[in-house]
Amino acid sequence: MKILVLASFFLMIFGKNLLAAEAGMPQLDPEYWASQAFWLILIFTLLYLSISKLFVPKIRNSIDVRNSKIKDDLDEAKNLKDASEKKLKEYENLIESAKREVQKINTDSKEKLNDDIQKKKKLVEKEIDSAAEKAQSEITSLKKNSINDILKISEKMTATVIEEISGDKLNESSIKAAITEISKKKISNYL
Amino acid sequence: MATNPMHQFNVYRIGPEVKIAGIDISFTNSSLFMLLSAGAICIFLLLGTREKKLIPGKMQLVAEIFYNFIAKMISDTAGSKAKPYFPFIFSLFMFVLFCNMVGMFPYSFTVTSHIIVTLIMAMFIFVAVTVIGFIKHGFKYLKIFVPSGVPVLLLPLITIIEIISYLSRPVSLSVRLFANMMAGHTMLKVFGGFVISLGLLGGWLPLSFSVALTGLEILVAFLQAYVFAILTCIYLNDALNLHH
Repeated sequence: MKILVLASFFLMIFGKNLLAAEAGMPQLDPEYWASQAFWLILIFTLLYLSISKLFVPKIRNSIDVRNSKIKDDLDEAKNLKDASEKKLKEYENLIESAKREVQKINTDSKEKLNDDIQKKKKLVEKEIDSAAEKAQSEITSLKKNSINDILKISEKMTATVIEEISGDKLNESSIKAAITEISKKKISNYL
Repeated sequence: MATNPMHQFNVYRIGPEVKIAGIDISFTNSSLFMLLSAGAICIFLLLGTREKKLIPGKMQLVAEIFYNFIAKMISDTAGSKAKPYFPFIFSLFMFVLFCNMVGMFPYSFTVTSHIIVTLIMAMFIFVAVTVIGFIKHGFKYLKIFVPSGVPVLLLPLITIIEIISYLSRPVSLSVRLFANMMAGHTMLKVFGGFVISLGLLGGWLPLSFSVALTGLEILVAFLQAYVFAILTCIYLNDALNLHH
């Protein structure tokens, strides 16, 4: 509707254009219409050519370069992310296996240590046993020896004591027999 | 004559008179401002494309914003088939925008306030769109005048209305831009004249109006360039994708 009104308005003025131009609408004075048309076509054609051949490709190129750079960067970021995730998984697997290994080593070494300890214990016990036996046998031999020594000493002592008291010298063999007899009866009191 | 609000639209010759086959094509102030606008566009785009940085500088960013603005407008209204026409729509938008904006400078001339300029652009678009439509669809393009799903009784009437509306496209497209620019600049001039005639005491009110109108006119300058470009896209869409 608006369009039609405008169009009719335009046509109305257009019909009496000379009159309108005189009344003050230089737009409707056809004197320079050809000139305006010529220069418009010339200048707009030149502008269109320079824009379509020079400027638009340049702007488009820089926008394309930016977009492809953004896309490449995003792709690269995705690849890197995937790689890092892979590496992380690898690392986790490594840690997991290392943990298992550590556990294995731990139990193994514990067992080994236990075995070692048991072995050493047995060895030491054996040594202790043999040492104790040896000591025991030494003690018994010492005991036996000491009894003989004691008998001899007591024989001498008795002989000396009797000699001191009575002044007589008794027969050694009789003293020995007496001591042996006494010691046989009473040795258990001293041992 | 200086206070005549239409005086600013006068076209006068600059330099010698040039006639080819009896037609006067002398260089005028209109040609000068067309050249200035086109030069400003070239300088702007030259600055915007001078350095191609991954992270754009200020001018490069502005140029790319314009590029993306037009690219989005085309893909939204006419689809991907309209991509080859991007440079044309871009040139058209930039040219109309810069002509409108250059016209906002005091003592300058608004190229787009002349019906002949906008009519030539609109006629070119109209003819080009019609030719593209016939090339793409052959005689099926005439279907554009016969909307589907209309009762048979109403069909002749609707078809006549469709033909009239199709044929009035160049007129509406050109008159819209021309009338907007002319009306805005005339109003600015009228209010400017009021400032002078009302003097130091009463001139402040029209001056403030003038300031507000300048802001509005800058908006209109951008809006009309946008409307011109988007209507071109819509017409192109009709020619490329036959929907009716």
